[in-house]
Amino acid sequence: MSTPKLVEHFFRHEYARLVATLSRRVGVQYIEDVEDAVQSALMTALETWTIAGLPDNPPAWLFRVAHNNLMGELRRRTGRRRILEQNVKEHIGTLENGPEIFLAGEVEDDLLRMLFVCCDEAIPVESQLVLALKTLCGFEIREIALRLFASEANVYKRLGRARSRLRKLRLYPGKLTGKHYSSRLPVVHKILYLVFTEGYLSSQSEMAIRRELCDEAIRLATILAEHPAGQTPETFALLALMHLHAARMTARQDSSGALLLLEEQERALWDQQRIQVGLEWLAKSAKGDGFSRYHAEAGIAAEHCLAPSFRETRWNKVVECYALLERIAPSAIHKLNRAVAVAEWQGPAEGLAILKGFEPPTWLAGSYLWAAVLADLHRRCGYVHTANRYRDVACKLAPTPAVKELLQRRLQIGLPGGSLNLDKLESGVNRG
Amino acid sequence: MPKQKYLCIQRSQSGKSEKPSPAQMEEMYAKFHAWKEKFQKNIVDMGGKLGSGKVVTSEGATDGPFVEAKEVVGGFMIVSAESLEEAMEVVRESPGVVMPGSSVEVREIHTP
Repeated sequence: MSTPKLVEHFFRHEYARLVATLSRRVGVQYIEDVEDAVQSALMTALETWTIAGLPDNPPAWLFRVAHNNLMGELRRRTGRRRILEQNVKEHIGTLENGPEIFLAGEVEDDLLRMLFVCCDEAIPVESQLVLALKTLCGFEIREIALRLFASEANVYKRLGRARSRLRKLRLYPGKLTGKHYSSRLPVVHKILYLVFTEGYLSSQSEMAIRRELCDEAIRLATILAEHPAGQTPETFALLALMHLHAARMTARQDSSGALLLLEEQERALWDQQRIQVGLEWLAKSAKGDGFSRYHAEAGIAAEHCLAPSFRETRWNKVVECYALLERIAPSAIHKLNRAVAVAEWQGPAEGLAILKGFEPPTWLAGSYLWAAVLADLHRRCGYVHTANRYRDVACKLAPTPAVKELLQRRLQIGLPGGSLNLDKLESGVNRG
Repeated sequence: MPKQKYLCIQRSQSGKSEKPSPAQMEEMYAKFHAWKEKFQKNIVDMGGKLGSGKVVTSEGATDGPFVEAKEVVGGFMIVSAESLEEAMEVVRESPGVVMPGSSVEVREIHTP
């Protein structure tokens, strides 16, 4: 009578799998009923398995219970009529021996389909993100709120918008056509990128929580990269950049949880195996002549991963990638990053020259990053007065104590050379 | 000294409690797993959840209520231990007492 250990995140991932599979079968407009049925099946599993031990095939067991819950609910509500006859007729009566056999790849198909459903053009991007975190990662509203640094009410509202769109859909996720897949692919990339950066850049100080989001993004991006619908150079580049950043993640904090600059990071802590995986995806992404922003960003991350030391980084290559990035995806943050890289390559005065006369958009001007970089570059040029002015602004705008601590350390003392390289990615949907 | 058996009655407050999220369920399962491993020698019968039923008297049967209380008997199990203290120790660490508003009553089973 033992209760064997389950694989990590079994409940969350089963939740995602079941929601994806069942909503394909009955139609995504019933997603809320599906979610309730799955939630209650998991609860039944928890109660039953802890007492009676695990069944032979836990996923099949869960599927049957969730399926029965859902059918019961739909049957009850529609008086045995419409939906059953129209949509799920073929599944009634096949429960005993049917659905527990999953064909290889079927689960991935369903998850992938769900991902494309979440990326419906009619759903605003901030709602797409929340919907993906809820259905594909199995997070609850309060858990999403914690991870996005948003209020529960805000997350609830965003989710509501996505759901109301899905309710109106008469299109089943199973009926997505090749056209949908290709037209929504860029949005899928964007959402996966956001899930990743929400973890990577989060103001949430707890590493485990942030790591979890990065892992989820990598899990979904891997499914995408291994599926015919997602095998494009952009997908591979996106996955490469995730691995190349994740490989350095634990080295970004010291033992007390304080943030470390790229220059201060212990390179021996970087996950070499993951860097290799990232580089393999990057090599794959080089096919064809498409060069996306993900290629540029993965290229920058790869340069950092491959450099034996901060000083020996090929800054000219980094600058080149930032210049490409600026061209493909114009954003003031790329310019700022390029200035930082140029300062390493050719000196702080050259870095400052890039930003001379540049009027940052308000979201950047109001962020600590802008002030911090200007403070750093001015300080290194010897313009103490201007440097101190920007430093005070940067410290005032610092979003977390950890960032403030880092800024004070970096900008206060007269360290010679060095740079304020903060491992920046473009600000996500909750920033900027 | 032969081990004594104890009936453990799990109670929880009636009324709805917030549903656990999948991540929380994961945690609960892991805790339960660890607890069961630790006390496997003490657990005689994991018992189970109690469903609905009837109250039978010499005059007939009613639907209940079984006891007039805000608390609901949710489940039971049987553990063996050298003493009530040991049995309480087993139960104290069990997931059954973790949920807010839950409690477990431990009663020695006297057998002739």
